[in-house]
Amino acid sequence: MIPSVDREAHMETARTVTVASGDSLQRVFVLRNADNVSLPVDRLVLEAGSMADVTIVVMPGVSCDLSLTVDLRGNDARCSLQGVCLCPGDEKVSLSVLLNHNMPSCTSSQLFKSIAGGSSRVNFSGRIVVARGAQKTDATQESHSLLLSDSAKVDSKPQLEIYADDVKCSHGSTIGRLNEDEQFYMRSRGITHHEAKVLQMISFLSPVFAGIPESAVRDQILEETEAAVRRM
Amino acid sequence: MNDILLEIRGLRASVEDKEILKGVDLTIRRGETHAVMGPNGAGKSTLSAVLAGKENFTVTAGSVTFLGQDLLKMSPEERSWAGIFLSFQYPVEISGVSITNFMKTAVNSHRQAKGLEPMKAGEFLKLMREKMAFVQMKPEFAKREVNVGFSGGEKKRNEIFQMAMLDPTLSILDETDSGLDVDALRIVASGVNALRSPEKSVIVITHYQRLLDYIVPDFVHVLKDGRIVKSAGRELVGEIEEKGYDSIC
Repeated sequence: MIPSVDREAHMETARTVTVASGDSLQRVFVLRNADNVSLPVDRLVLEAGSMADVTIVVMPGVSCDLSLTVDLRGNDARCSLQGVCLCPGDEKVSLSVLLNHNMPSCTSSQLFKSIAGGSSRVNFSGRIVVARGAQKTDATQESHSLLLSDSAKVDSKPQLEIYADDVKCSHGSTIGRLNEDEQFYMRSRGITHHEAKVLQMISFLSPVFAGIPESAVRDQILEETEAAVRRM
Repeated sequence: MNDILLEIRGLRASVEDKEILKGVDLTIRRGETHAVMGPNGAGKSTLSAVLAGKENFTVTAGSVTFLGQDLLKMSPEERSWAGIFLSFQYPVEISGVSITNFMKTAVNSHRQAKGLEPMKAGEFLKLMREKMAFVQMKPEFAKREVNVGFSGGEKKRNEIFQMAMLDPTLSILDETDSGLDVDALRIVASGVNALRSPEKSVIVITHYQRLLDYIVPDFVHVLKDGRIVKSAGRELVGEIEEKGYDSIC
């Protein structure tokens, strides 16, 4: 079943996708160049028992300001959001996610990874709001970043607002550099410094893609990502 | 002179302005196995790190030539291509990278350096299976992330497995016995012994005699306070074990 896309009267420009009860939606959005700097959806509404799995990939050379709101509007809805930002140059990428747990027993997970080099800027802000009645909520959010240069900058702002008292919520955020001991170990086995960094970056990103089922789409995204990482 | 593999002359090295190696001289010929023994803090691990090209050590004086080439001018990967292998005292965990992927990248980097095509997948997997069996690593380790969650013995077996895969001319074993129980020690030592040949040399760096019961050296050197203070044949091992390092020089 194809989810409906409609413009809601009170949000003139917002594009909302509603996933009907029991349906599931899986999408991968790849922003490849400067002509392509927005998501085709601003808001996801998940009805009872529905499922959404959305992956966002921001390729090198793309500056963008993305925001996505998810409303879990029925019991037992499940939402998984993940993304990768590759920013080797002077990109400015901002991503904000608002995840509203409105109903009980919903699950959400978020995993975002960015690699920032050059003089790029990455801002991630992720807010999870658990409404008063949304008991048995299970919400996780992780954002991890690698800095490749001294002038790149990453801001990560996780926020949790919890108004229910029987929930499981967690968030984790790290910003780090490529580990030099690992690089030396690989180089001592004859792996070039560049190749060692490529292996490190790919392994850093790979959990984001782990959830995409094996398919031609997945292969193509992995291939494109690896090619982009090799040029970083 | 062609049989000289490694020649270290007057090597001095520091880390953060603290001098650790204070003039090391050592000559290693093809086919020889040398033990470098010494108390903690003598500079044993610094010596192996400097030979492998670790960047946080500064060489302040002296020279190291490997097969006639200036080793100190080479990057760590160039040293590996030239035939040097360091078995780490603390093998590094690389999460997200499988042993297969890691080794394939390493083997093909070596081949590329020699101007060869990448190894065919089937041929590579066969070689891996063979060398893993050689150090009694279970086949499922091929899919595991490098050293992640390995026991001490598994990490050291993984080192010797990599050594077997890369077939180095000079192997440096840095405290390979640390953290090993007797069974693992035997496996590791028999792996190393099987790789010894008249063309190849081994440096065993160790604090204790234990490993040298299994990998019997031709020459033994005592490193103390950044210098080699005594060199002799294998009989020196017993003398050290009996009298301790303090009685030697």
